[in-house]
Amino acid sequence: MAVNVTAEGSRSSTSDSIRQGIGQLLETLALLLIIVFIMLPIYWLAMTSFKPAEKTYTTDIIFTPTLKNYEIIFSDGTVLVNEGTERERGEVGRDMIPSVVNSVLVSCATVLIAIPLATIAAYAFSRYHFFGNRAMLLWILTTQFIPAIVVAIPFFTLFRSVQVFGEPLLGTRWGLIIVNMSIVLPYAIWMIKGFVDALPGEIEEAAYVDGANDFQVLLFVSLPLIRPGILVASVFAFIMSWNEFLFALIIGREMRTMQVALMTTSAMRGVMWEQMSAAGMVVMVPIFFLAMFIRKNVVDGLTMGAVK
Amino acid sequence: MRKKRWVPWVLVGPALVVVFATTVYPLLAALYYSFHKYDLRKIPQFAVQLASQPGDPLISIDWSLLSLRNYTLAFSDSRFINSLNVTFWFTLFSVALSVIIGLFIAVVVQKNGRLQSLTKVLLIFPFAVSPALKGYSWRYMLNDQYGIYDLLAVELVIKPINVIIELLNNLPLIDITPINETVVWLADQFWALFMLAMSETWGWAPLIALMFVGALGSIDEQIFEAARIDGANRLQIFWRVTLPLLRPVILIVTMLKTIFSLKMFDQVVTMTGGGPVRATQTINYYIHQVGFVRNLDIGYASALSYILVVILTVFAALYVSKVLNRD
Repeated sequence: MAVNVTAEGSRSSTSDSIRQGIGQLLETLALLLIIVFIMLPIYWLAMTSFKPAEKTYTTDIIFTPTLKNYEIIFSDGTVLVNEGTERERGEVGRDMIPSVVNSVLVSCATVLIAIPLATIAAYAFSRYHFFGNRAMLLWILTTQFIPAIVVAIPFFTLFRSVQVFGEPLLGTRWGLIIVNMSIVLPYAIWMIKGFVDALPGEIEEAAYVDGANDFQVLLFVSLPLIRPGILVASVFAFIMSWNEFLFALIIGREMRTMQVALMTTSAMRGVMWEQMSAAGMVVMVPIFFLAMFIRKNVVDGLTMGAVK
Repeated sequence: MRKKRWVPWVLVGPALVVVFATTVYPLLAALYYSFHKYDLRKIPQFAVQLASQPGDPLISIDWSLLSLRNYTLAFSDSRFINSLNVTFWFTLFSVALSVIIGLFIAVVVQKNGRLQSLTKVLLIFPFAVSPALKGYSWRYMLNDQYGIYDLLAVELVIKPINVIIELLNNLPLIDITPINETVVWLADQFWALFMLAMSETWGWAPLIALMFVGALGSIDEQIFEAARIDGANRLQIFWRVTLPLLRPVILIVTMLKTIFSLKMFDQVVTMTGGGPVRATQTINYYIHQVGFVRNLDIGYASALSYILVVILTVFAALYVSKVLNRD
């Protein structure tokens, strides 16, 4: 009897361990599949950016890495892909540096304008009860559903007419910064509001009791405490305006940002993939570091805190 | 409480002014344009040189009387109907794939383990790749001659299937046509749209997985433990426990992704250019064509974008009511 039970127990445990082994194997396989799915496009882009031009139109993964593609896109257009084949040069070299400058300036200015406005507004939305508080927050939440094209059309016609220093705003960095506000500011307000909401109010109460006024409390008590949140929102806002494409195309026009400059890698024989990849790396790599930095907050940011 | 009543208005004022100026103003202006004839081709110096000309004052535009012309035109415009159709299928594919693959990733990654935590870190990577770049890299990888996706699809999927088909064809009474091994993905009307949805899925499924991982993390581990003790296997736990518990989050994520998918634009420009023929012209892409590339008809483009706004409003209302009801 006792022997019987043991035998049965051990048999079921072997089949259990086999089943578990298969389960482990499947799990590992699934994980590897997921890793390949996520990383392949990024790896392939990075690899192609170091490929010599003649290897670009193959799937070879063994080649002598070269920095030539980076040299080409950052040159003024005089570095040739192959000696004597000037026609095969993409146009990236002509405006890579200006478009990097444009992207950096537009994104930085967008952040520098949006974040202070968003911070004080988010603080007020979180800490004060005033007429229309909730309705306005709701409106700000719904602005993310407005298609960018609806914003672009009227601003396109407006910026043609509005002149600053004798130049129409269309095709200028300022024009682009203004329309970027429509997407960046609502997200920033909701994000920072989340951080203020999470802050216990007692410290502020104590400051009020000690005789501080509203602005002193905001400036010297609350702001230092939500500084990490402001930093996260700034990085998020920077990524949003850096990656923005539709406004850059319609409002930015010849004042190309990096996203639009990618399109200039086309030449006589189609897109110059090795140059596009190098330009793509310049677009992508800085954002990688920023994204890693705000990894924990991306979901909250994207959903304005709806998924928790 | 020493808080003063006027203080919040000073604090929210500047942000409200900017939000209203950049969202309410364009919404009203576009509505106004949409009921008017406003065609940039009719303004001579503008048609010649679009960008560098100083703009003419708004008053000189030939505003004919209020008219529904732009809206009636839309519903007899086969290209617009096509774009509605394309957007519908794109949204269906991209939302379904993103949510299902996102769910799969979340369930696999959720357990404790080294490879799991590594994968969790990688999930944020596609977020860093801009949509425009995404479109370009996918276009490169899908090329039928030197694309890595094309190579993998042909070698790992199509060829093995064809081997099986050939074996089956040796049997009597069976005659299956082998799959074409030289498919040019972005030149095929179905595959171009599907691959556009796949590129979107690549960007979103990992983010959606992150959302689910967060939601799964807040579920009490004891619920799973109880199910395991009751003898439920993995599949049963997934269907009977995980899925019902995730339902509210799945619903919200699905609606949010639907809204983003309906606004699809960036990758269409860099990956397919709306082609082949018009198979990947989404609503947003067609509006851009009408307003800024082909026709320069601002009135018509405004009307079309208002139709998009109405479609989005339906989903936005659903979404907002769901989000509000959760708290």
